[in-house]
Amino acid sequence: MAANYWESTQRRYWQFTKEELAAMRQKLEDEDPNLVHMYPLPQLRHINIYLNRQFNHLAKRLGVRQQALATAQVYLKRFYTRVEIRRTNPYLLVATSLYLACKMEECPQHIRLIVQEARVLWPETFHGQDTSKLGECEFFLISEMSSQLIVHQPYRTLTQLQGEFNLTPEESQAAWQAINDHYMTDLPLLYPPHIIGLTAILLAITCYNRQNAAGGANAAGNSGGLVMAANALAHAQAQSQARAAAMGGNSGPGTPNLTPQGSFAGGNFSSQGGRELGDGSNPTDPKIAKMQRFTNWLAESNIDIEGMIDCTQEIISFYDCHEQYEDLVVRDNIKRFIKARGLDK
Amino acid sequence: MNPARNLRAEYQSKVRVTDKYKVIGFISSGTYGRVYKAHGRHGQPGEFAIKKFKPDKEGEQVTYTGISQSAVREMALCSELNHANVIKLIEIILEDKCIFMVFEYAEHDLLQIIHHHTQQPRHPIPPNTIKSIMFQLLNGCQYLHTNWVLHRDLKPANIMVTSSGEVKIGDLGLARLFYKPLHSLFSGDKVVVTIWYRAPELLLGSRHYTPAIDMWAVGCIFAELLSLRPIFKGEEAKMDSKKTVPFQRNQMQKIVDVMGLPTKERWPLLTSMPEYSQLPSLSPPLGGGGGGGHAGHHGHHGYGSHHHHQSHHGRGGNNAAASVSHLEKWYYGTINQQISSTAQANGASSLSVLGAQGYNLLAGLLEYDPEKRLTAANALQHPFFAESPDPINANCFAGVKMEYPHRRVSQDDNDIRTGSLPGTKRSGLPDDSLRPGKRVKEN
Repeated sequence: MAANYWESTQRRYWQFTKEELAAMRQKLEDEDPNLVHMYPLPQLRHINIYLNRQFNHLAKRLGVRQQALATAQVYLKRFYTRVEIRRTNPYLLVATSLYLACKMEECPQHIRLIVQEARVLWPETFHGQDTSKLGECEFFLISEMSSQLIVHQPYRTLTQLQGEFNLTPEESQAAWQAINDHYMTDLPLLYPPHIIGLTAILLAITCYNRQNAAGGANAAGNSGGLVMAANALAHAQAQSQARAAAMGGNSGPGTPNLTPQGSFAGGNFSSQGGRELGDGSNPTDPKIAKMQRFTNWLAESNIDIEGMIDCTQEIISFYDCHEQYEDLVVRDNIKRFIKARGLDK
Repeated sequence: MNPARNLRAEYQSKVRVTDKYKVIGFISSGTYGRVYKAHGRHGQPGEFAIKKFKPDKEGEQVTYTGISQSAVREMALCSELNHANVIKLIEIILEDKCIFMVFEYAEHDLLQIIHHHTQQPRHPIPPNTIKSIMFQLLNGCQYLHTNWVLHRDLKPANIMVTSSGEVKIGDLGLARLFYKPLHSLFSGDKVVVTIWYRAPELLLGSRHYTPAIDMWAVGCIFAELLSLRPIFKGEEAKMDSKKTVPFQRNQMQKIVDVMGLPTKERWPLLTSMPEYSQLPSLSPPLGGGGGGGHAGHHGHHGYGSHHHHQSHHGRGGNNAAASVSHLEKWYYGTINQQISSTAQANGASSLSVLGAQGYNLLAGLLEYDPEKRLTAANALQHPFFAESPDPINANCFAGVKMEYPHRRVSQDDNDIRTGSLPGTKRSGLPDDSLRPGKRVKEN
């Protein structure tokens, strides 16, 4: 279904376990070990950072908004689970993904304009491309994605819940940034959007501080905050398990009792959350109060807390590996196979 | 190594449409391209309708120019949707610079069925068939709307019916997701919804699309199933040279002829409609519906010069008569129409059994105020469908003795790969070319 995540093609066909994802990628490499051997590439997360930057450059030139940029990145991720990157010109794929995502997200860009901007942006690797190459690549992209083009994004969860948790504008901004950053990880292929959205909110509440106004990428530097996030999740998990036990296992796992839309912010959760907070120990630190509200909410709403723990770890380890990222290394590695295989023509 | 996996090589589909399907004939064409009927070559069950989008050409050469936004939408939406009352997409094949969407085949559509009943001796569609069609149609609409999909082009030709009597909403070529669009749903599309089925708020210039727009169209289709004629058969005002969207005066007048002039009492937001100032230039209905779909066919020659009426029916509806609805009269006139003896001999039965609840449902769908108009979910709960004696049948042909003529499939063009150039004629119904509502190409 188009707007219901649980029935969506995203959940049915594009949500994998880590093992499945690893197996698919291994299979692609095994198809042509020579190719892989001849053109070594840095770790995938570094390639993702590089591609994310290219997406951002192109989107900025075209004035494309974040929503379309996010969808484009998911398209590219899906595509590269089916096609070995060394067989493609990643710059062409970046441009094509963005072109297609803009149409899907109702902010279409003219194909000629995209080609024109991409040529200016990537003179060495894009010069041989034209509108017909991009149009052809669009067929390739859609075909590999089996025409499954509707992507559910975590931004919606954030917009719906920022009021629920009284996020400050800075916290909302930090959560937004964390969502932007998660497109450089495998998380969009591993977890439902609401789990990622909630993780981003958690990170924003626990890690954001005023000195670190850049948010997101720096948020993880706040190790005290991270401990707090981990504690919060452990606490929510315990609370949720106790509750399930008390209810005689009524809220069995596996039956999603909420959807990423609408019902999240449904009255039940908010009123209960508010009441419990009022009964509590009247915390003076607003941050702790906010945390408590968040953990109560989690414990009561049958959210996959395991998943959130894993998401938190993924994002944090991503921020760690971000430190070793070197733009030029990735660029040269990609350029090597493009040039050697004539993929720029 | 698969050549499709190397971008240096040309893109090649892994599946070739002619390897997998055998084209039996050509069904119809439109601005989007052509539709063919096909069978599976590998024992796939059932029959198929393959929609081939018109490829883009530069001179004689077919080239890749980027897929149109409406095709992208249709591909994406149809891939997600899955409901008994929405036409099912089997697969999409992208091959040789063309897009082929393979759908389940439906033998009939409402346009054909309505047309069949107008043939001599003219005879109404059986009441139980109408009930079943309406229930299934509403069920499909409810599914679309709960999934934030607006169809935006509901009309009899787009409502398919399978030979086992299952109703399937088809042609999602104009459908859109209405969950937080980046742009107003109005921008980008010059024309939405064939004018006869266009809701009054759109005619009055509203830029906000809501599911209520589809529900108005469903009301119009209900009326057409009853009377076998479009209830509001207006003439489309063409866009002028400045490309400003004109006020569809003639269409609005047809609605007023039956429904009376809208008033701000019945429709509080009426006064904020962009074309509100046009309302006084419309004529109040004359005498009302005479039944049998004849309403509005009398007395409106030259209504452009009706300015003298203005003093009689001011904007606030100070002349009560001008805002009186004649829909009830239209409804009873229609369902109580005499059936010719020949038709009776053929087993035609009267629609009068549809009774007061039928009127209630119709009036709820054809409600001026979009906020008061029935939603699909509400309409499904309507007593019209709960009334005895007969429960709603999932087969709209249940109990129908005759068989409707099959969809016409022409042999003029069996070559789906090269295909002759898309024309504008639809094989099948001779009067279809008279129907308005060609789409303006987007982007």
